[in-house]
Amino acid sequence: MSVYDIDATLPDGSVDSLPAGTNVLITGPAMVGKRELAFQLLAAGHEEGEGVLCVTTSASASTMLDEFDRRVPTLDRDRVAIVDCSGGDSQQAIREIATERVSSPGDLTGISISTAKLVQRFSERDVSNIRHGLVSISTLIQYINLSTVFKFLHIYTSRIEDTNGLGIFTLDSTSHDPKTVNTITSEFDCVIELRETESGRDVRVKGLPGVSRSWQKFE
Amino acid sequence: MGESDTPVVLVVEDEPDVAETYRRWLQSTYDVRVAVDGAEALSVVDDTVDVVLLDRMMPEMSGAEVLREIRDRGVDCRVAMVSAVDPDFDVIEMGFDEYVTKPPVRDELFDTIEGLLERADLDDDLQEYYSLVARRSALETEKTQSELAASDEYDDLVARIDQYREIVDEDLGDMASDTEFVGAVREIMNDQGDGL
Repeated sequence: MSVYDIDATLPDGSVDSLPAGTNVLITGPAMVGKRELAFQLLAAGHEEGEGVLCVTTSASASTMLDEFDRRVPTLDRDRVAIVDCSGGDSQQAIREIATERVSSPGDLTGISISTAKLVQRFSERDVSNIRHGLVSISTLIQYINLSTVFKFLHIYTSRIEDTNGLGIFTLDSTSHDPKTVNTITSEFDCVIELRETESGRDVRVKGLPGVSRSWQKFE
Repeated sequence: MGESDTPVVLVVEDEPDVAETYRRWLQSTYDVRVAVDGAEALSVVDDTVDVVLLDRMMPEMSGAEVLREIRDRGVDCRVAMVSAVDPDFDVIEMGFDEYVTKPPVRDELFDTIEGLLERADLDDDLQEYYSLVARRSALETEKTQSELAASDEYDDLVARIDQYREIVDEDLGDMASDTEFVGAVREIMNDQGDGL
């Protein structure tokens, strides 16, 4: 595996695949569709036999499972795994897919142990190409100080890089000051910005060689 | 670290022959201390110890119990479990930083100790790296492109960030390894007071 296909997720002519080991940050204001885009990018390789491992800080595991079910009608439940730190009730999802619960988004050690366990489960089933989601970094910053979140992101993105995965993270750019957003952004290979204008939604992709850095319509 | 710059390794091992073998291998490189059981380990372990090689199966007190007590006391050291049983995921969950399969070969023991000593620097190096990146972000938010282009401070920061990123990545080791990955996260969480 050298690339992850993201066919038709972003506007025509921008990007249709990402190299293995890439970490992507999706930023933008609230309600602009960051989470939606993250799910699309995570689900895009499902039919190729890839795995999805998503850390959720606010939505419960069952909500996440519903989201994936909506996008992939033939969802193979053995290739979806969730680390749920939302504290929400996810009994149903726990029965259906591999779920690890962590008591708080601030327990980064617990999150890392859980993701390592779930990756191990995937490898027992020969699922080696994994898309890793973390939705969202903004919640982590509410629970622990910025320097620790930054350090964790450095470690976690290195982990994704060293295992040839694909990382998809989200950050609400309006919940934090510009300096914080800039500091977090600098840890990522690729940043996808979303914005809402009077004429509709735009997207801009930064950090990929040969890809235009200008705003494009994104409906 | 001990009084000199020689790293201190505490070997906790109830079989005297095995403990002696480790000592012979390690003593030219490290300041080696030996404890024959859990109780003795707990009476000698302190912040001067850099790495503990802890036998899993010991009479009286198990390796896991000794580890828990070391963590509860907040001793700043890294602990590798030495186990004849092929270690499972529970080793990571118990809070060990690394494991070595018993009987270890000499090079393996050295690699484990060296890896843990590098990891000991991770939090400080990442903290410095973070401070530099945060400073650069502040400049980028406050200044225009042309001001940045003319700023020596900015150039210097960018160079130091590159330098520290390399240092940090060296400390990190192989993040494809589950134990090294979880160990690295545990290392940055120690200061938070809620790391395992």
